[in-house]
Amino acid sequence: MDDERGIATVSDAAFLEVQRLLNREAALLDRRDYAAWFDLLTEDVKYVVTARVSRPAETGPLDYAIIDEDADTLRLRVLQIGDPKLTRAENPPTLTRRFVSNLEVEAAGPPNDYAAHTNLLVYRQRGTAPDGDFYAGRRRDLLRRDRGSLRIADRLVRLDHNVLFDGSLSIVL
Amino acid sequence: MNDVTSIANGDPWVDTANGTVSREIFVSEDVFCLELDRIFHRLWIFLAHETEIPNRGDYVVRTMGRVPVIVVREASGEVRVLLNSCRHRGTKLCRGEAGNARHFVCPYHGWSYALDGGLISTSYDEHLPADMDKADWGLVPAPKVESYKGLVFAAWDPGVSQLRDYLGDIAWYLDTLFWRTPGGMEVLAPPHRWRARANWKIGSLNFIGDGQHVATTHAGPSTLNRLHSKKAGFFVRGGESFQVVTDEGHGCTLTYLAPGMPEGNYLTHPPALRDAYAEVLSARQISMMHHLRVMVGNVFPNLSFIENQVALGEKAVLIRQWQPISGTETEVLSWVLAEREASAEYKDRALKHGFHNFGAGGVFEQDDLELWASATQASDNPIAQRFPFSFHSSLPFDSAPIENARGPGRAYKPSNTEVAQLAFMRRWDAAMQPGD
Amino acid sequence: MDDIVRSAPSRSWVDAANGTVEREAFVGEDVFRLELDRIFHRLWIFLAHDSEIPDRGDYVVRTMGRVPVIVVRGSDGEVRVLLNSCRHRGTKLCRGEAGNARNFVCRYHGWSYAIDGGLITTSYDEHLPPGMDKADWGLVPAPRVETYRGLIFAAWDPGVPELRDYLGDMAWYLDALFWRTPEGMEALAPPHRWRTRANWKIGALNFIGDSQHVRTTHAGPIALDKVRSEKDGFYVQGGESFQVVTDEGHGCTLTYLAPGMPERNYLTHPPGLRGAYADTLSADQLAMLRHLRVMVGNVFPNFSFIESQVALGEKAVIIRQWQPLSGTEMEVLSWVLAEREAAAGYKDRALKHGFHNFGAAGVFEQDDLELWASATQASDNPIARRFPYSFHSSLPFDHAPMENAKGPGRAFQPSNTEVAQFAFMRRWDAAMRPLA
Repeated sequence: MDDERGIATVSDAAFLEVQRLLNREAALLDRRDYAAWFDLLTEDVKYVVTARVSRPAETGPLDYAIIDEDADTLRLRVLQIGDPKLTRAENPPTLTRRFVSNLEVEAAGPPNDYAAHTNLLVYRQRGTAPDGDFYAGRRRDLLRRDRGSLRIADRLVRLDHNVLFDGSLSIVL
Repeated sequence: MNDVTSIANGDPWVDTANGTVSREIFVSEDVFCLELDRIFHRLWIFLAHETEIPNRGDYVVRTMGRVPVIVVREASGEVRVLLNSCRHRGTKLCRGEAGNARHFVCPYHGWSYALDGGLISTSYDEHLPADMDKADWGLVPAPKVESYKGLVFAAWDPGVSQLRDYLGDIAWYLDTLFWRTPGGMEVLAPPHRWRARANWKIGSLNFIGDGQHVATTHAGPSTLNRLHSKKAGFFVRGGESFQVVTDEGHGCTLTYLAPGMPEGNYLTHPPALRDAYAEVLSARQISMMHHLRVMVGNVFPNLSFIENQVALGEKAVLIRQWQPISGTETEVLSWVLAEREASAEYKDRALKHGFHNFGAGGVFEQDDLELWASATQASDNPIAQRFPFSFHSSLPFDSAPIENARGPGRAYKPSNTEVAQLAFMRRWDAAMQPGD
Repeated sequence: MDDIVRSAPSRSWVDAANGTVEREAFVGEDVFRLELDRIFHRLWIFLAHDSEIPDRGDYVVRTMGRVPVIVVRGSDGEVRVLLNSCRHRGTKLCRGEAGNARNFVCRYHGWSYAIDGGLITTSYDEHLPPGMDKADWGLVPAPRVETYRGLIFAAWDPGVPELRDYLGDMAWYLDALFWRTPEGMEALAPPHRWRTRANWKIGALNFIGDSQHVRTTHAGPIALDKVRSEKDGFYVQGGESFQVVTDEGHGCTLTYLAPGMPERNYLTHPPGLRGAYADTLSADQLAMLRHLRVMVGNVFPNFSFIESQVALGEKAVIIRQWQPLSGTEMEVLSWVLAEREAAAGYKDRALKHGFHNFGAAGVFEQDDLELWASATQASDNPIARRFPYSFHSSLPFDHAPMENAKGPGRAFQPSNTEVAQFAFMRRWDAAMRPLA
């Protein structure tokens, strides 16, 4: 699952393009503008979030998916949490703030396709709970030029959690 | 501790005559401590599925109430449940969640134990007095460990009945979920784990028979799944539905296919395997499965299960454990299973479908948790505790089981009453009595 | 929880003869639980300002001790206080902090209630037993809800006196803050909310009469305000000052203008409205207001208020609630109010001035909180608990109220003694004694 090889450098222009995309994406998610967010994805997007089984160091940890979606199921998920009538967990909405940092970009296959590696920290406060909490993880995005723009084709979020501390995950990471 | 049962206002916790249940038992730390004593450190508690530890030395680390245990397949192939605590100074032998071991070595002072728990060496055996018998100082085994159809249970009271007897009539239903094919079922991934700020019993009640919450709580996935399935050309409509209650407070809710959808849902089972069902299931069990859309239930106290499907090819068998942390917090474990003989591609779909709906990011799960947490918080004060929860909609139906043509146990209709929930509460109440 | 109450010794934490109070009263969890029972789940507790819920169906969600409540304006215009917990399984009906509702629908199983609390439907009424009367299963209303000058209070003990009687002589001072004009006051924004790792009583003591801390704790803002105000050409100097204590442990501290600054401060009141004060206030109240620089006080147990100003046009009326969370933590709510009839520009200035000084980032607030938290932490150990807090500087003044006070209640001079604080502690001690 750990697919980080030595990161090949890309041009500053490419780096900036990727950074702009990821910053804009985080802002849209924090604003809960899921329609605009969905437009940043390719039509065959894959979205996977993993958690971790802690095991002895000799064996190494085991990551396992807690979310594994294609465009269809991801759309269902987002339709649910974006519609006040269809969600309980997100009504009242949780407040979120995404910090996407430590960006590294490498060329991936076809020209102008990239793999972006970032650290992700999401602060979240439920509407109903007094205390905020955090999701932390490492994110790997495959970005592809599609319909004229760079879009997210494949996202893997490896959470640094073995037990999710506050119920089940009702936001997009 | 025992005087806790005589609660302040003298009202019973479970008032079966009036169909109400005290809120106190869903928040109180004193009640929680008593539950540990009377239920979790005594009765049969589900721990793991056999396929999580297929090989010798494979182990998973689990908890029974507050007791940390290692569930390990020892050299003989038997499953043992050992207290995860060194006899010397108490250190946990296994500090990860899962692994494979040849033996268990304490990292503190080096005591080592065989997979069956026997003490091999204290590392300083030469300093031991002559009368210390190492055979007395092995890892503490749970006195009762049994498996039923791949489900591993243990109990700390050596006097509990045989597991098969404890399960009673619910075993018939468990068979249809957990042993359909000669190979049985297989866990497809490690259990998802998350914390809920809610009492564990709310989870059990939710699964044993809570037909009333589906339309309200799960308006989101219910609506969206229907749209999604219609687009895919097939939506599995539910028809006749009823609750089943068995002895020991186990129970489940069954929903059959709507008339005019004969066996449509049955088609979502792995095609190549349907014939194999007849090798292990009875004709009556197969007949039930042919018409089944959803089965959801609970084995007392805290093992829940569900098989649910909405669209062709989208189904999964899920196991759920409601592991109590305190009066107001629960750790939830959630496994997805499929038939061992199913194709890799089928298993992959089942896994995705399973946790899309019921995993740590499950679209059903997230709404339940939000509401359970708010119920717990709102009930955790003495004013609210003057006003018990309503289980009224069990009363008119409780004493009138219907003819259940398809399976054992006492069946009740309609399914959106609270008969099974009240049966769970009655069993709980009996377990909490000193003499039970 | 009730068990603790029964078993609690009828002891006292307040040594009235020697002028000391045990530290345990400011950190103990047992003391906290007893406070919930004897004070917060029983006596009049401030909840909201009338102007926060102007229209039918408007509600805010608040807490009384540990009891979550909805404060809602019913279809008849009456304010009701309802336990925020579904009667079925306890889920919170309102899970946000404020809103407008036509009725309250539980999102778990769909029970719905009118905004006056009456149960409309369980969604499965057809399953209810005939003996269940829906009229008995509405949302639980607080038995007592009364409003004084826009301040909404509720109590869970139906036997508490009328609110007006409970407020007693303190009402005269509240009038001067909260009902100066025919329309009364208005909350200018939602309350600021913050958590503090300190016992709630420190807040109440700080407001009822703690002049000793002002120069030390607030050296920063006082020095800076003075510099700034002098630059602006106007600094409101304080003159005569005294404390007022009334029955039930309410009290306040008044500071008049320094001689030679007649009525200058009064000019900071909204210019167009000063004439209107005479419509609602008595001549005595007006005379006090004319000479007033600061009024700060507390209504037992946890409702505080302050009006303070340093420069021309810079003042605000602040109300404060010290909402206890445990023996060592509280949530503070802080509202800023202005006269309803005041100009928008005036209200805007008042709001900014109010939370610059006393909001979640207030320049006064931040220094208090730091010191309160350190006091709580340093007292939360058995060694420190052997040494009570000193309230000595109340004793020489306690029995000598001054004459010729400008308003009702017992007044004491000078204002920098601890007479009012000790009066609060004595009232608290009386409230904590076992009920007859």
